[in-house]
Amino acid sequence: MSSKLISKVTLTAMTTAVLSAGIGSTSNAAESDKAAAADYTKMSPEALAEHLIFKAKGFKLEQPAQEGGLAGKRLEQDETQKICTVLRGKAADAETAEKVTAMARDSIRYPEGGIQLGDWKIGRELAWSGFGYRIGHKNDDHSGAKNGPGGNCYNCHQLATDRTGGNIGPTLTGYGKLRGTSEAILKYTYDVIYNANAYFPCTHMPRMGANGMLSSEQISHIMAYLLDPESPVNK
Amino acid sequence: MFRKFIFAVPLALAVGTAGAVDSFVDMAQEEILQTLIDETGSPYLGQSPQNLQMMPDNPAYWVAEDGEALFEEPRGPKNVSLEGCDFGKGPGVLEGVYVELPRYFADTGKVMDLETRLVHCMITLQGFSKEDPAVKKRHGSDSDMMKLQTYIAMQSNGMKWNPPMDHPLEKAMRDAGEVLFYRRSGPMDFSCQACHGATGQRIRASVLPNINEPTEWTKAVSWPAERAGQQNVRSTQHRLRGCLWQMRHPGLVAGSDASIALISFWTDAARGQPAILPDLKR
Ligand code: HEC
Ligand code: HEC
Repeated sequence: MSSKLISKVTLTAMTTAVLSAGIGSTSNAAESDKAAAADYTKMSPEALAEHLIFKAKGFKLEQPAQEGGLAGKRLEQDETQKICTVLRGKAADAETAEKVTAMARDSIRYPEGGIQLGDWKIGRELAWSGFGYRIGHKNDDHSGAKNGPGGNCYNCHQLATDRTGGNIGPTLTGYGKLRGTSEAILKYTYDVIYNANAYFPCTHMPRMGANGMLSSEQISHIMAYLLDPESPVNK
Repeated sequence: MFRKFIFAVPLALAVGTAGAVDSFVDMAQEEILQTLIDETGSPYLGQSPQNLQMMPDNPAYWVAEDGEALFEEPRGPKNVSLEGCDFGKGPGVLEGVYVELPRYFADTGKVMDLETRLVHCMITLQGFSKEDPAVKKRHGSDSDMMKLQTYIAMQSNGMKWNPPMDHPLEKAMRDAGEVLFYRRSGPMDFSCQACHGATGQRIRASVLPNINEPTEWTKAVSWPAERAGQQNVRSTQHRLRGCLWQMRHPGLVAGSDASIALISFWTDAARGQPAILPDLKR
């Protein structure tokens, strides 16, 4: 938001406050609504959208979030989200792509002792689970989840064929059988789950590690589900 | 009133004229959908033959019938009916109003959707307080709100979505809604586009509607709809709530301008295509 727009938003808020504080009857509340509303037409669509979220409080910003702090924080965009929003799903130009991949590479943290494969059975449950971090009319209570919040992988990917997966991401059936378990594949797979923007700038695959949705340990189990020869993904 | 029962045309006729259909207003809901399926072959529209088959017996028709009675009955502390409520085409006019919402209302100076307009009339005309269950309970087939919304929306079945864009506020809200639709945020970086930006995208087995295809999007925005899996009629605002929850975004404040901006944009995206009201969904 440019500073010009910020001052306009602040001004509107002040006008509204003065109007409604001064008089306070219903008809004048409607007047102040009108004043606020009339000004919507003077804002850019982007500034109005920010206004509707944060100033007009169109979302329940003050709800406590599972990760701590308030839910409203989730609507504040980081640099990657800002850049990728503008693209609206189109491919990034070379410069933008480089910027996003560089930020993604910087975000990745590896477990002490290197990348290990965990237990594919736990990984299977995590890959299936869409539980966790949902908020609003019902709130996910993480204390109830034995292996922690889920990975949502099946929503977007076909994995083992014992369950129908989505197609927003490519099919991962036979992932380990096709790619093997070399150091390079372990690192690639860990990186993609942690922050797929490192390879696919502005992808729709969520940054599961970088955004704190999955721990390194959870990722190790999901990686076993993808890569272990015994996993149903590779049968 | 109950167009569906009065004007139902034989299915064969609708199918026979696929591609050349320019008026859907005398068609039953399932015939509109069948025509769209035949014209487009869309994997989203055609994904549930079972639902198509159930549509003639849509439980939402009973909810609409209850809504008709509620609409005409003098109610609230002021003991008046809702026939004095102006949904955009004059007091008491219901035919075709829903496909032209959200719209700007001079008496409030705001752009309002069906739900916020209904709440406005129940409070100002009938004298209900904001806390009265008639106004406060927004969800479920047994709520006054869903009965009334279903009845009113049904008077636009088969009509083409045509939300007005004459007032600068209508345009401003639509444009802000577009920004909100594409805005990525939250722990999963989702925007609405992640799931509704291409044809044939699936979350697990569900085929999702593409906002860039008005023939798909018209069904997507055809709410109220009976959700077969939930055995309840659900509203537009309820659908938004569900997607935001999956996105891990905070919930919308019911009737907030943010919700109306999104609804303005999504209705505009279905412009020119026939509404299916009430619809029946999984
Ligand atoms: C919202 C949808 C979505 C979710 C949820 C999701 N992914 Fe993805 N994933 C994608 C997309 C889209 C791509 C393709 C990258 C691109 O081109 O943008 C991808 C790519 C991948 C790849 C690289 C595939 C290749 O051929 O190299 C792997 C591995 C992967 N995802 C694993 C996972 C795992 C494991 C999970 C669960 C923890 C997961 N994904 C959750 C959308 C998703
Ligand atoms: C993670 C994927 C995802 C995201 C992101 C998402 N949705 Fe949805 N949306 C769904 C699913 C799944 C359904 C339900 C499909 C079903 O039940 O068959 C749905 C249904 C809908 C429908 C009704 C479709 C119908 O068949 O009636 C609309 C309209 C809609 N979403 C709008 C939105 C809007 C607006 C946003 C952004 C605020 C959004 N969605 C974000 C997955 C998503």
